[in-house]
Amino acid sequence: MKIEVLGVGTTKFGELWEVSPRTLVKEAVSEALSDANLKLANIEALYVGNMLSGILGGQENLGALFAEELGLFVPAFKIEGACASGGLAVHNAINSILAGVYKTVLVVGVEKMTDYNPGEVVSALMGAGHDEERLAGMTFPGLYAMLARSYMEKYGTTERDLAVVAVKNHHHATLNSKAQFQFEVSVDQVLKSPLVADPLRLLDCSPISDGASAMILGSERQERSKTRKTVWITASSVATDSLGLVGRKDLTSLASAVEAARKAYKMAGVNPQDIDVAEVHDCFSIAEVIACEDLGFFPKGEAAGAIAKGKTTLGQGRLIINPSGGLKACGHPVGATGVKQIVEITTQLRGEEGLRQVKGAKIGLTHNVGGSGAVAVIHVLKNE
Amino acid sequence: MNRISPVKIWRHQKETAFFLRKEGKIISWTLVRTPPEGFEREAPYPVVLVELEKGKRRMGQLVDWQDKDLRVGRKVKAVYRRIKQPDPEGIIPYGIKFKPI
Repeated sequence: MKIEVLGVGTTKFGELWEVSPRTLVKEAVSEALSDANLKLANIEALYVGNMLSGILGGQENLGALFAEELGLFVPAFKIEGACASGGLAVHNAINSILAGVYKTVLVVGVEKMTDYNPGEVVSALMGAGHDEERLAGMTFPGLYAMLARSYMEKYGTTERDLAVVAVKNHHHATLNSKAQFQFEVSVDQVLKSPLVADPLRLLDCSPISDGASAMILGSERQERSKTRKTVWITASSVATDSLGLVGRKDLTSLASAVEAARKAYKMAGVNPQDIDVAEVHDCFSIAEVIACEDLGFFPKGEAAGAIAKGKTTLGQGRLIINPSGGLKACGHPVGATGVKQIVEITTQLRGEEGLRQVKGAKIGLTHNVGGSGAVAVIHVLKNE
Repeated sequence: MNRISPVKIWRHQKETAFFLRKEGKIISWTLVRTPPEGFEREAPYPVVLVELEKGKRRMGQLVDWQDKDLRVGRKVKAVYRRIKQPDPEGIIPYGIKFKPI
């Protein structure tokens, strides 16, 4: 398959108390339109990725809401799949183009989380889990803490080994003006931060964030931009697994991500070794370690060591992971994340990232996970 | 948010009865320090993932625990306990938790 990324845009991620979801979406979309050199009139359909608007704000029907806000009365759909809502919205937009229904489609991912207190957000996010987990008073940091515990027991990995993920992603975010946390943290700072759900600490966790990202996708265009490289999506795949951790055979890997990656590599005709840059779903430090192994970048049990050696750090490694700062430091407005990952890879493959450019990047990958691994979405992109 | 439905509790009765008094081993655990709404009074509390006989798994809070009980392999038994604070209508939700044996 070949879907062209015609234009991309993203707002700053962070605690944006003065901005409404409508304004966030308008800003991301107008950036994407001008990047694509297209007008609203060119857009034939709208896909919105969002998770929490209904449960936190009581506002559903987001397709129509953002169609109204944009003055774009086309077919509009909200797609929900927990923290993979954004990636799933892109997947559905791609399918609509492949089916020949639309030629030019707008995808928006948006989340407004900081209007609510942390207890409300923690409860709302548990909407992505299993009823049994909610009855246990479980939280998302808690679920990933259980994965971390199993992983550490199996491979002898320590809290210090996991902390390097946060250190690297904070470093990358210092080079991203749209990131929520544009400052460095040290391993010791991570290890001294308060425990949230043992063994995970505050600085192992991605933050609560506001933000929106947008992109315009199209079937192959006749006219090509001569001033920059064209970026194509060459694979889009989704896989699901049990909603809760009780249904998993293995607590040191996400079977949904392994399966979605297998399908994506086949679809794109590439191997893990071909990937130059990847945005992976590092909602917690352990999640990036597991992601790197599920995607075949490193053998089982070896990802944390490789990350510590700088093998995925800008300016040091060959395969750069989370140049945006990832969910950890760029921020994690849950519905926006899956879209933002593809925005980041697109600009990387165009060679437009300036200080955080991965030199010579030709093939990129995004890995977006919903729940504790209940759904995974993988996209592969390449430039031309 | 998350009002308690008596109908749902009633529907869960069979499942609850199945798990009661079942024994198993902890296969993973955490200590939740930042709780969701309704669980503030119990925090911090351990949540354990338990493998019961015949490989069936169940997640629940651990009660009557000490630090030494928080380890993989610890034997536990399913018990019936209050789950969280009553809702404004006074409905008290009960369900499965675990205790060390």
